[in-house]
Amino acid sequence: MKNLKSTFGAILIFSFCQLAYAQDGGRIAGNLETNVNFFVRDSLIGAANTPQYDRQLYGAESWLNLTYSNWGFDFGLRFDIFNNSNLLNPTGSYTDQGIGRWFIKKKIHQLGISVGYLYDQIGSGIIFRAFEQRPLLIDNALFGARLTYDIAPDWEIKAFTGLQKQQFDTYKSVIKGASLEGFITGDSTSTWSMAPGIGAVNRTLDDASMNSLVATINTYTKEDAFVPNYNTYAFSLYNTLSVGNFAWYVEGAYKTEDNMNDPFGEFVRDSTILIGNKLFSEPGSVIYTSLSYARKGFGITLEGKRTENFDFRTRPQEQLNRGLVNFLPPMARVNTYRLTARYNAATQPLGELALQTDISYRPSRKVGFNVNFSNITDLDQNLLYRELYTEIQFKHKRTWNILGGVQIQRYNQEVFEFKPNVPIVETLTPYVDVLYKFDRKKSIRFEFQYMNTGKDDKGERHDYGDWLFGLIEFSIAPHYTITISDMYNVGPGKNSPVQDGEKQAIHYPRFDIFYTHKSNRFSLSYVKQVEGVVCTGGICRLEPAFSGVKMTVNSSF
Amino acid sequence: MKKFLYLFFVLSLGLFAGCEEISPEINPQMGPNTDPDDPSPVEDQPRQVLIEEFTGVRCVNCPDGSEAIETLLNIHGEQLVAVSIHSSGSFSVPNDENAYDFRTTEGDNILSFLGEPIGYPTAVVNRKKFPDEFDLQLGKGQWAGYIAEEAALPPKVRIGIEPSYDVNSRDLSVDVALYVEETITGEARLSVMLLENDITDAQVTPDGLEEGYKHKHVLRDMLTNYDGDIIPEELAADAEIEKSFDTTIPADWVDSNVSIVVFVSLAGEVKDVLQAHQVKMVE
Repeated sequence: MKNLKSTFGAILIFSFCQLAYAQDGGRIAGNLETNVNFFVRDSLIGAANTPQYDRQLYGAESWLNLTYSNWGFDFGLRFDIFNNSNLLNPTGSYTDQGIGRWFIKKKIHQLGISVGYLYDQIGSGIIFRAFEQRPLLIDNALFGARLTYDIAPDWEIKAFTGLQKQQFDTYKSVIKGASLEGFITGDSTSTWSMAPGIGAVNRTLDDASMNSLVATINTYTKEDAFVPNYNTYAFSLYNTLSVGNFAWYVEGAYKTEDNMNDPFGEFVRDSTILIGNKLFSEPGSVIYTSLSYARKGFGITLEGKRTENFDFRTRPQEQLNRGLVNFLPPMARVNTYRLTARYNAATQPLGELALQTDISYRPSRKVGFNVNFSNITDLDQNLLYRELYTEIQFKHKRTWNILGGVQIQRYNQEVFEFKPNVPIVETLTPYVDVLYKFDRKKSIRFEFQYMNTGKDDKGERHDYGDWLFGLIEFSIAPHYTITISDMYNVGPGKNSPVQDGEKQAIHYPRFDIFYTHKSNRFSLSYVKQVEGVVCTGGICRLEPAFSGVKMTVNSSF
Repeated sequence: MKKFLYLFFVLSLGLFAGCEEISPEINPQMGPNTDPDDPSPVEDQPRQVLIEEFTGVRCVNCPDGSEAIETLLNIHGEQLVAVSIHSSGSFSVPNDENAYDFRTTEGDNILSFLGEPIGYPTAVVNRKKFPDEFDLQLGKGQWAGYIAEEAALPPKVRIGIEPSYDVNSRDLSVDVALYVEETITGEARLSVMLLENDITDAQVTPDGLEEGYKHKHVLRDMLTNYDGDIIPEELAADAEIEKSFDTTIPADWVDSNVSIVVFVSLAGEVKDVLQAHQVKMVE
């Protein structure tokens, strides 16, 4: 099968090259992303006991993406390489290479035709999203076909069918769906518009997955057992209403009974309760809304989301970030500073009630304020995550840019990281970021952050305890950026590494050099990184510590 | 034309959920429930499936996996052979409250040999890479299906185990006989494991540290290489091959709880276990 795919891929590449050589008024574009890691074992921080640290010492990933447009067609081809990569499984090693994606698109009057590996979504992605997140090696492309039809100006019908990509193979469950989206506005003087949409998705479980599911359910007691469904349907209705400075998005979604896995399921055995992965079948729902107001110098956004039993996967046996059919929008701020981004709220698809507000105010060009507040609980009102983030920005002439603020967090580590009986992590993190421009080319930037953590009943600091982070970045535009930083576990906590019975106050230094030349960018970094939850685009996973050297090459053409 | 398309679209949505499916049949906890302590004679030996669970005393979710394996043992009886390998990185480092360190060099080597999981609980069934799976490691929800699938196949080889144990000297000798049913091409290996059952020692659970936790079928030692000893003899149909192994059982093991697990597996890129068998060291 794999040989067949390779042959097909080779034919496709050959055809592609022929097309490219023809250059019959066509346009070819592409980009390259390459990561290379050299692993240097450091048992103390937990950077050990994986194939890369033990024997492979090296890992790499690379993606070369090419697109060619001509004669009304769009062609795409991507070659993926994974050599001893730890992206798929942070403690494992993955090696494979081949055609990671291809597609052909053509528009024939109102009809749009796409085949191959497709990325797409319905609404905000709550019932369907085929997407890629390379830092977590999520590539949920739909391998199939999609038809669109412009039934009127600003109105489109879309229908698709296919299988979800699984590295260089596909899952076997069939996913199909359709949507109708449009745009309505008044005459040329009107200040309102609407973008309504309706969508439906169906997943039909394949026989092998169903047989496996039935075998597992047959191990349950009669009280816990249920009859699983082959077919699950999800429906969504959404609209964006814009009136003057206001924009209001609302989406409601419903999913029929689906076979799901509850990682905190309860089994009753001999009158004792055991907690663990438990399959169950329930219908699900999501309501999501976002209301924003913006005028010059002021903006406010209010968001709310209620999720119940909306884990939607290509098969229920898939865990963590694998096999996701949909995407639930995250409801906490995406932080970028090292310590403010240490604790992230992973979306809880089985039950979540979340509110978020973001206010920005810029009274003048020199001063700006930003406040963000998010509160996430489960459906029983147990706190999962709370964050208050404040930011003040001050610009002086063109030489100084000072940004600072405080972040306060409450993070339910027991739920997000499956750590039993740990308290809710409490943090208070002041931070400052100072940029000084020597001239038009040279600048220097400093970051300083301090994370103060709460204490548990025994007086031990939560998780890894208190941290200090400092960074100096020197840039010579447009080519060079040099960064040196250190994250120091200044007040070790309950989970900090222990040596000879003593908790260790460990430094996690990092040194980076970036070189940019036109559309090519290179980086070389020496990194010691503490374990933590890494989130990309609202999807998170626990990443082990890293010790070693990283190199990246990015290019576009 | 537009009206037709609207109608087509609405009808399509309706058809989406318009038909009822025929559901699969569910038969909760109604397996054969055979007694693993009353094995079939070797000539009638059915396919016996090996499940290797990777666990650790600090792994909070692992007791859930262990419980699932006990349920599967109740269902499949002698057709399932379970081994708990305490190798899971930092999860298997003993707590201060642990009396034992269940980690073994062989266990760590087996984990490295079979590949790291993405999470726990995790297990490998017959060391087989099943179609549609990323690797050999399987999450809890996948064990039952693949065990049932493997247990339904006829054995290519049957395994006889004759232990001889001296209570005073604690010397153990194990005679293994392989009865080849179907010619096996390529290199095959023989593995012999010693397990200890029902060891009471601390384990992290979702309710916190449980000091009286009973650890089941813990891999304690191997009498072969971690990936098995090469079987140099030709494994032609009807061939009979005999091997012997000797060791001394450490004083801190409860000898009445010790079991001997023997299995035959392929070598190379495909590591499939062809047959496993287990007997108690002391009857």
